[in-house]
Amino acid sequence: MYTINGFRAIVLVLLIVFSPLEGLADSGPMAQLRPTLAKLTAVLSDPSLKGDEHKVERRAKIMSSIKEGFDFREMSRRILGSTWNSISAQEQDQFTELMTKLLENVYIGKLENYSGQTIGYVGERVKGDRAQVSTLVEDNNMQIPVHYIMAMGQGRWMVYDINIEGVSLVRNYMEQFKSILRTEKFEGLIKVIEDKNKSFAEGKAQG
Amino acid sequence: MNVKKYILLAGALLCLTLPSIGLAEEQFGIGGSDYMVDRKSPDLLDDNHDTDEPKEYVGIYDPLEPLNRVFFVFNDKLYFWVLKPVKTGYTAVVPWDFRFIIGNFFNNLASPVDFVNTLLQGRFNDAGAVLSRFVINSTIGVFGFGDAAAEAFDIQPRNGDFGETLGVYGIGEGVFLNWPFFGPSNIRDSVGFVADMQLHPYNYLDLDSEEIIAARSLEFINRLSLKGDSYEELKRISIDPYVATRQAYTDYRRSLIKSHKLVDKK
Repeated sequence: MYTINGFRAIVLVLLIVFSPLEGLADSGPMAQLRPTLAKLTAVLSDPSLKGDEHKVERRAKIMSSIKEGFDFREMSRRILGSTWNSISAQEQDQFTELMTKLLENVYIGKLENYSGQTIGYVGERVKGDRAQVSTLVEDNNMQIPVHYIMAMGQGRWMVYDINIEGVSLVRNYMEQFKSILRTEKFEGLIKVIEDKNKSFAEGKAQG
Repeated sequence: MNVKKYILLAGALLCLTLPSIGLAEEQFGIGGSDYMVDRKSPDLLDDNHDTDEPKEYVGIYDPLEPLNRVFFVFNDKLYFWVLKPVKTGYTAVVPWDFRFIIGNFFNNLASPVDFVNTLLQGRFNDAGAVLSRFVINSTIGVFGFGDAAAEAFDIQPRNGDFGETLGVYGIGEGVFLNWPFFGPSNIRDSVGFVADMQLHPYNYLDLDSEEIIAARSLEFINRLSLKGDSYEELKRISIDPYVATRQAYTDYRRSLIKSHKLVDKK
């Protein structure tokens, strides 16, 4: 099975050489997620970026490697639900920016606790323009299933939701924002998120 | 062009498609490399919270929200004023190894609950694993303090509770409840919790109620000390911690029940 005879090798080579360029970009969601996460873990475990004095540089690097595979605009659009369509393009940009900052504040702190856990890939599932990549992260003798939900955007698969043991990030924020939107409208929500971000900047976020 | 050139060209192309950045393991000698796991994964794509498509998602029924929120605030105070100091003291006095062993002991003790429920849910493989784990850990694992079943035989823990069993049987979750002391639940899981308490060995070990309360308190604080700061973490990351908790609890339970229903069909 592992020995490829000469003829097969030539066919294989021809296929690779003459396959149209889309063919390469077309590779599955898992194949596209793996390098993103590998790059992220590499940044997280880089000893030259550890410590408080490298905080700014480290966070910038983490965010840039995340942004390669994560679509924060799509994430924001889905979190906002139907409200997204009723606000202006400018407000959409503003919300995306605030939401990206919030997720950065919320999750980068967690990511920085990374201590060399490896990522086990379970498999992928594709339905139309959406896909799911399932992984298993081992931490403290516990195996935690983490699923990445992706959508096809700009010719490649981009993550827009993370689902941990059935709990979806998008759904969770979506439900939290619903009641705020009902009582305080979009302007009120913007203010609430801005305040939360400010509390992180001042280092006094609850908890 | 001859075949050799094609091969060289193809090789060059292949190199270009490989991720340019090395894995953390290669760069820094620690585990950054990934691997494949042979396991089933749930289908999460049928729940499409897209703005364009109609939602299939069933909302959470929370008519008691004002009362639930009062208890949520109560539990929050309870955590910061009572539980956290106790947990901190306990963690400082009892080393991690001991807490881990104590956790094993309590988990092993609850095996009858896991066994009956996995059986009732038709998860016969899991029920067998629970039984094997109980036998191995109670003997080789010395009364359940060690987890020899997981370490030497690679039989990982399986859990089942009666709320889950009712869910697998198709019984809905009912009204969402946030209990003082016990936290998020719903009608179905609360009924299940009471039923599981009856199954627990505490009831047939000839303990008086004070001893049961002491044992349950130790079990609770020990578990809390192993969990880390998950409550504080949740508060930190959320805008409305009550809604975040309600949503996380409900989605977690739903996915658990859904995955056990799938096992059932097999």
